[in-house]
Amino acid sequence: MGQKFKRNIRSLNDVFEYIAVFIDKHPLDESTAFSLNLAVEELFTNIIKYNADNPNPILLNLKRSPDALVAELTDYAVEPFDITKSHDYDPSLSLDKRPIGGIGIHLVKKMFDEVKYDYKDQQCKITLIKYLGASDV
Amino acid sequence: MFEINLVNKNEILLSGRFDATQVEKALEIFINIQETHIVNFEKLDYISSAGLSVLLKTQKRLTTNGHQLKLKNINKHIREIFQYTGFDMIFEIE
Repeated sequence: MGQKFKRNIRSLNDVFEYIAVFIDKHPLDESTAFSLNLAVEELFTNIIKYNADNPNPILLNLKRSPDALVAELTDYAVEPFDITKSHDYDPSLSLDKRPIGGIGIHLVKKMFDEVKYDYKDQQCKITLIKYLGASDV
Repeated sequence: MFEINLVNKNEILLSGRFDATQVEKALEIFINIQETHIVNFEKLDYISSAGLSVLLKTQKRLTTNGHQLKLKNINKHIREIFQYTGFDMIFEIE
């Protein structure tokens, strides 16, 4: 199911509200909730950035099982482009060598156990999976 | 909600959620910082890469003139983000 959001940075407030409602129904520990908000924001903003002229909304779907939290973002009518395959961000670089970009995807990969990209029928779907332990609720 | 305020001459107080929708608001303050400032995270609940980028750009600019941002009162979630990104190595954190 999920919900579609207008392809606009200002939609982020609605995205966070949607996530808050989900967490209300499917409680998560603070750290996991923080990671979910952050990872969805990073992917949502990256999708907008790399496909700004697309008029289609972005679909966000959240799922929770006893073992896992799953977030899916789907972009429609797009050419294949895997935004999860970014240049590797090196957190050990000195300040002067540190690039401004790439931080978001790096964080997503740190906070979620699996980050998958699928492309089919002009639809790009990014799936984030975080495996939950007993302490994640 | 996100708030950013200059307090005590050289301290910037951040409140709420520093996400991608708040970059312009933050830049109104950060872009005018020319000397060492403390950034107080005491009331900040959340920061994304958009916020981190503002801090990084400012730090790069300030350090070329011997100044910097010093960060304090970072909560455990944001501190983890700083560790993941290596920001704890390029900022002085109290």
